[in-house]
Amino acid sequence: MTRALGGLLVALVAGGLAPHAVAESRGEPEPPRVNLVLDVSGSMNERDMGGGESRIAAAQRAFNEVIDAVPEETHLGIRTLGATYPGEDLEVGCRDSEQLYPVESIDRTEAKTAVATLRPTGWTPIGYALRGANEDLGDGPGSRRVVLITDGEDSCGEPDPCLVAHELAASGTDLVVDTLGLTRDDAVREQLSCIAEATGGTYTAVQDADQLAEKVEQLVRRADLPVENPTAVDGAEECRDAPWLGVGVYEDREEFGEHRAYRVPVQAGQELRVAASVTADRQVNRDYGVLLRALDEDGRELTRGTGAGTGRTDVLSTGLRWPVEEPDDDADDSGDSGDAGEDRRTVCLVLSHSFSAPDSVVRTPGLPVELAVDVVSAADESPDAAAFGLARGWAPVLFLAGVGLVAGLLGGVLKRVVTALRGTA
Amino acid sequence: MRYDADGITTRAGRAGRWLAVTLLTAAVALSGAGTARADDSGETEATEAGTAFRTATVIDQGRRATASASTGDYLYWVFPAGAGQRVSAEAEVTLPEADTRTGPVTWRLDVYDGLRRHQSCASGRQSATAQEADAALTLECAPRAVRSWADPWSDTPLPGAYYLRLSVAELPERDLGLPVSVSVEVTAEDAGGSVAVGGDLAGPLLPVGAAGTVSAEAADIVREEERDGGRDDGVYLAAVPEPEDGWNGGWWNDRWLWTAGGGLLGALAALGGYRLTRPGRGA
Repeated sequence: MTRALGGLLVALVAGGLAPHAVAESRGEPEPPRVNLVLDVSGSMNERDMGGGESRIAAAQRAFNEVIDAVPEETHLGIRTLGATYPGEDLEVGCRDSEQLYPVESIDRTEAKTAVATLRPTGWTPIGYALRGANEDLGDGPGSRRVVLITDGEDSCGEPDPCLVAHELAASGTDLVVDTLGLTRDDAVREQLSCIAEATGGTYTAVQDADQLAEKVEQLVRRADLPVENPTAVDGAEECRDAPWLGVGVYEDREEFGEHRAYRVPVQAGQELRVAASVTADRQVNRDYGVLLRALDEDGRELTRGTGAGTGRTDVLSTGLRWPVEEPDDDADDSGDSGDAGEDRRTVCLVLSHSFSAPDSVVRTPGLPVELAVDVVSAADESPDAAAFGLARGWAPVLFLAGVGLVAGLLGGVLKRVVTALRGTA
Repeated sequence: MRYDADGITTRAGRAGRWLAVTLLTAAVALSGAGTARADDSGETEATEAGTAFRTATVIDQGRRATASASTGDYLYWVFPAGAGQRVSAEAEVTLPEADTRTGPVTWRLDVYDGLRRHQSCASGRQSATAQEADAALTLECAPRAVRSWADPWSDTPLPGAYYLRLSVAELPERDLGLPVSVSVEVTAEDAGGSVAVGGDLAGPLLPVGAAGTVSAEAADIVREEERDGGRDDGVYLAAVPEPEDGWNGGWWNDRWLWTAGGGLLGALAALGGYRLTRPGRGA
């Protein structure tokens, strides 16, 4: 009963507080930043966007709609590629990307005027433009998104846009690149979906001008989610060197075949809850798994979470929970936790995955890893199997009836015996 | 949620039973109020889907959510489920126009619990293939009933948030990126007394959303956590509304009826048995 009551109190508190807690916003909101990167290469003159509209005209129309619809708090910038150099020189053509409008609170008229001046001209240096777009966004917290709109694959080859995307994604700046392709060409699709996959963005094959505007608006809206960026952490190979984590979300990178260890201090009477996911941000082989182990100070496994899957996926995840019981008298606390309290335990988390990839696939940086750590007060030890120990079904009911019957019969017999004894006395 | 419940409860002794009922009533009333508050805060139908666990769109039970997306996107929603509920998620995918598609496409619906552990579908058509001519397809996944308590090493569904992931499992590469629109709905029904297990989870499995703290010293982390004692305020991802009956499902289940029935039957049988054998009968 006391356990049930304890649980009830928890329910009471949780019920009362949860809606408050989650509704609260944390800290100063950073403005979401979006950089629209538009391909203004020669091929954008092509009139195939429905109704004989050229690609550039459709893009300009879409940009005007987006500029009108962008929320006040969002900082929107525009960068072009292939807008100025019409010549044949590869060196110059492949450096042809410039900031048309800086990433800041948008002046709608100014931005529209700038967009109206664009005329399809030059090359398609996508990789180069992505680096520029990342710089335009500046650093600092808050969401950072690039929306890349192009009708052709990178015509420069160097730097490879997909590698640039991996490099930017791994730089710890939480950049997301969404790509929109204006043609249904195999090479374009492969390149753009690779860029999107590497940064956690999406790839869209645009069908017509209306869809283009709608999609860009949707992507700009997505930047405005009240989601905090995870803290970057660098897990160690061994538990004894592992960084200490508190409650919160963390991100890391883990190469193929690598193990990453983290440590969490947990008080006795608390429950550790961890969710871990490994993102497949590049082409991987068909079958894969993830293993999250919780070890104690001596390297003994406490519990584990496993996940496995097959086929196309974005992420593979698992989780575990582990309540730390009140310490026994003989508990050996000689490990890393030092002398700071007897009832604190160290739980070491070791994360590994069994993703594999064809030889042609890039190995570094490793796959993105996300770790969500929570510590809550633990429930008491194992309760009865049934709610409040209550019975259910015919067997216990008949059993109770049988016990009643036997008790009644015995009672009657006892009464008889007593009466008989009194009679003889 | 740091407080000492044991100290109170051990003293409560036998009175605990009555106290429990009172508290339960209060808990139900309070949690009901909590839900109402969440509903009041301008609840409109969700028209966007998240693209990762962390950005999942929050939806409530019984509300339809829609989203427009591109073929190949991974779409995430998060919904609440309380103990004793059997939830069922349904998704409808309106496929791109048939003349733009080049082959059959397979869609898939997955459910994960608040700790991102995959939950198998106990029933429902989780994955379906649409031929080129099909205009739409429907998927369904109903994981096992949610229990109020489970051993820490099991992956039994527990009260808390659940993620719903809708994705394309197989497609012709050429069809990547084509526009689709999807709608999902999560419904819940009472799973009955057979899943009413003993014990309650300390707190629902809610996804953490706040950025964490890294340190080279354990003491820093402990100090930090001690400083913001009420640290569970605001660390969770988003306002996942509490289910109507609370996370732990309330105290009522049909086990009370069975047990009371058994007790009553036992009492009647005892009375009958006594009448059969008591003195004075047949004397």
